[in-house]
Amino acid sequence: MSALALNAASLRYDNGFTALKNVTAQFNSGSFTALVGPSGCGKSSLLRLLAGLEQPFIGSVTGLAQSQIGFVFQEPTLLAWRSVADNITLPLQIEGHSPNEIAARLDEALALVGLTDFADTLPRQLSGGMKMRVSLARALAKRPPVLLMDEPFAALDELTRFRLDDDLHAIWQQQKCTIIFVTHSVTEAAYLAERALVMQGGEIQKEIAINQTGRDSGFRSAPAFTAACNALSMALGHGTGAGGGA
Amino acid sequence: MRYLLPFLLGLALLSLWEIWVGLADVPVFILPAPSLILAALVDNFTALMAALWVTVKVTLLAFVWAVATAVSLAIVFTRARLIEMALYPYVITLQVTPVVAIAPLILIWVGFDNVSRALVIIAWIVAFFPMLTNTVQGLRSVDPQLHDLMTLSGASWWQRLIYLELPAALPAMLTGAKISGGLALIGAVVAEFVAGSGTSTGLAWRIIETGNRLEIATMFASLALLSALGIFLFYLLSFCEWLLLHRWHESFRR
Repeated sequence: MSALALNAASLRYDNGFTALKNVTAQFNSGSFTALVGPSGCGKSSLLRLLAGLEQPFIGSVTGLAQSQIGFVFQEPTLLAWRSVADNITLPLQIEGHSPNEIAARLDEALALVGLTDFADTLPRQLSGGMKMRVSLARALAKRPPVLLMDEPFAALDELTRFRLDDDLHAIWQQQKCTIIFVTHSVTEAAYLAERALVMQGGEIQKEIAINQTGRDSGFRSAPAFTAACNALSMALGHGTGAGGGA
Repeated sequence: MRYLLPFLLGLALLSLWEIWVGLADVPVFILPAPSLILAALVDNFTALMAALWVTVKVTLLAFVWAVATAVSLAIVFTRARLIEMALYPYVITLQVTPVVAIAPLILIWVGFDNVSRALVIIAWIVAFFPMLTNTVQGLRSVDPQLHDLMTLSGASWWQRLIYLELPAALPAMLTGAKISGGLALIGAVVAEFVAGSGTSTGLAWRIIETGNRLEIATMFASLALLSALGIFLFYLLSFCEWLLLHRWHESFRR
């Protein structure tokens, strides 16, 4: 069953720039899809279209209500004057959940991202990686069937990014939500997703299924991982070799 | 050191002033010695405090009105572009026309039966503009991604205002308030000068009155009280700023 779909959708911004051209794509329930491509290829626009933050110029989007969507931005996008807990519960507060419900979801989200001890901390006292975890927890606290992530870990150092990739993958397997993950990193896409959509110039150029054999341990050295990196790099037009674009 | 140095410098300058006035035999009606100014302050304490209170009332009323009206109008401006386009030229006109030139008109219109109302309006005109522009700028500079977050959460316009826009604009609003506070005092003094009658009895009026009578020591005492009031207002608003921002805002990062 597909949770989200784009049907021949085009997106044109007010300044006349056409960000997406006639894009058709389906995202199955519980799947993990990576959108890969160079800067300006339209991958973030596609995500904003799915989230209902932009409306298609032509075509249509089969989606969910915005309350069903968790969105993680490229920046942590936290309110500096609110504590970690208050940032995570803001969307729930706005949606008008009961205090008990909010408290329960807060504990759950904090535990999922490993920040239980930091509930009362202010954002400025956190590292970049921890801020990103708060941002992820805020999206997860809505218990969304769909999680849209716009290059969430791009600004982090590599070690932090690896750890967050692992945590995200574990959360996905545990929560069974649909994840659509924008990245410009071929290795990150190959590591996380079951399927990658390679984008260029506002169009989906290629769809690549990623073989997750050997996922359990040391996947970064598994042949399936290297093969996926190569396939993605080829599709993006830079020859062979894992790590391109990372 | 930060408090001691200016204090010591002030003390040294006052001593020099005191000694020089004595040695050079400067007439009291040109430059009275600091000791005489202090004596004038003590002698006229009740009258000067009453005058101070009049000026404080006008200043604070004008300031509070300036903040309330400017913030309200700023919210309207950021919500309705057309209203902003229609009103903005007139707001600027009000700002750029020298207040001394408008003051007599306002005194004629609303000052006949109630001078202090006219004084408050004149001071309000001076204090209003920086509060407005700073608030508009603060409300407009909210990170667009934070607006997206509110949209995704299904926030109503007032939830957006309360949870996001007002707190995000707070640093800019407080900067505006610090400028407006000082301007409200300037506006109050200008208004009293222009009103220039026995019915307005603030510190500025005392300055004119004592000047006419060549009671220069009392004039200096009034002047000192005005400065003290201005300094007090500035530090009061700086304290509010610290209170509201020091926990989270970058400008208070050590």
